[in-house]
Amino acid sequence: MVKREKAERLADEELMPLIAAKDPEAFEVFFDRHGGAAYSLAYRIVGERTGAEDVVQEAFISIWRSGARFDRARGSVRAWTLSIVRNRAIDVLRSRAGKAPKLTFDDELALEQRPSDDSTEDEAMRHETAGEVRGALGTLPGDQAKVIELAYFGGFSHSEIAGMLGVPLGTVKGRMRLGLEKIRGELAEGLA
Amino acid sequence: MSEMNNGHERWSEELAAYMLGALEPAELAAFEQHLEDCDRCRAEARWLAPALQAVPESVERVELPAGLRTRLMAEVQAEAEHHVGGARSGGGWRRRLGDLWRGEGRRGLRPAIGLAALALVVAAIAGYVVGNGGSTSPNGGGQLTVESGHAPGVVATMVREGQGGSLHLRNVRPIPDGRVLEAWVQRGDKVTPVRALFVPDREGRATTTVANMDGVETVMVTVEPAGGTEAPTSAPIVTMPIPG
Repeated sequence: MVKREKAERLADEELMPLIAAKDPEAFEVFFDRHGGAAYSLAYRIVGERTGAEDVVQEAFISIWRSGARFDRARGSVRAWTLSIVRNRAIDVLRSRAGKAPKLTFDDELALEQRPSDDSTEDEAMRHETAGEVRGALGTLPGDQAKVIELAYFGGFSHSEIAGMLGVPLGTVKGRMRLGLEKIRGELAEGLA
Repeated sequence: MSEMNNGHERWSEELAAYMLGALEPAELAAFEQHLEDCDRCRAEARWLAPALQAVPESVERVELPAGLRTRLMAEVQAEAEHHVGGARSGGGWRRRLGDLWRGEGRRGLRPAIGLAALALVVAAIAGYVVGNGGSTSPNGGGQLTVESGHAPGVVATMVREGQGGSLHLRNVRPIPDGRVLEAWVQRGDKVTPVRALFVPDREGRATTTVANMDGVETVMVTVEPAGGTEAPTSAPIVTMPIPG
């Protein structure tokens, strides 16, 4: 088992073989690096604390049990990790909504994912964070940011988004593309 | 299949929706079939991948629940011990967990579910660490001393991942309500904010990601009002020179 101090000096991709070999110290470092972002993402999607905890715990246990499946050719460890968290959180959303998300969903509600039975404390925390999705999405025109948020954080398909917003499917596709291209352009310029 | 006759232009319209997970199931299968044959779509996907990665990073950071890490590591440790057939003593971790673990109670874990990654970008990893040691990292990177501004004792670690990197802080003292940590990168005379705001957890750890480390000479962290600012309004708690 690698010492914690040594594990902290390893890059994520160097930690993954250790995690695959069931090294808990390596996994602890891995969680400390990405657990916060993972929980924030899960909380953003499912909209309440307990559900977000479950998502993160299950996602990281799945990584612990299948760490050897990471393929660096498909992206960074962090991107891979957050994609697992995102997919699991979307599964939770869909299971709550039934077979699929409600097509008549109010998109503003979808963006905020307000919990129906949250505690006052949860609600207070959400008020601090809701609407503060800044950075990459914050630089986009509202219509582009909206379709990306509905897809990524709401788990809606482009067809569903078109129906919700009352715009043609091609418009949704175009806004998604333009939005990602704009974010990518800003990253390329080193502004992010 | 030739790129000239594989309908690239039509499929290209679906690429962003594919990357955002917004294709219908039937569309998804067809698009992935096309992707296998289309070099241009794969190249576009690789180019757009950093943008997709920036989406989750843009979420406002919230503090990890106090018990989550403890529960997770207890489960991991138990499985690790089982993995080595009980040869390793589990007393150390159990003792470290102590009363906190017993007080929280165990929450059941559902079976793990394998999930596919969305990201397609190829990340060349070059790790380096900045800590308090001042010696050379065994990992081949430079290990430098953090220059702490108004928060001595804070340890900062920058782990490079491809074009970007993740910044990990330890020993961060609690920050006032309504405040967040904001990271900044300096290139020459220009200081720009890092997109993802963050907050320390109860154990003083905090993490954020710098999407683009190209040309960065210094990384700094300041305490700012919730929502962040476009220019630093306080002295940095961490100033980290980045080796060129």
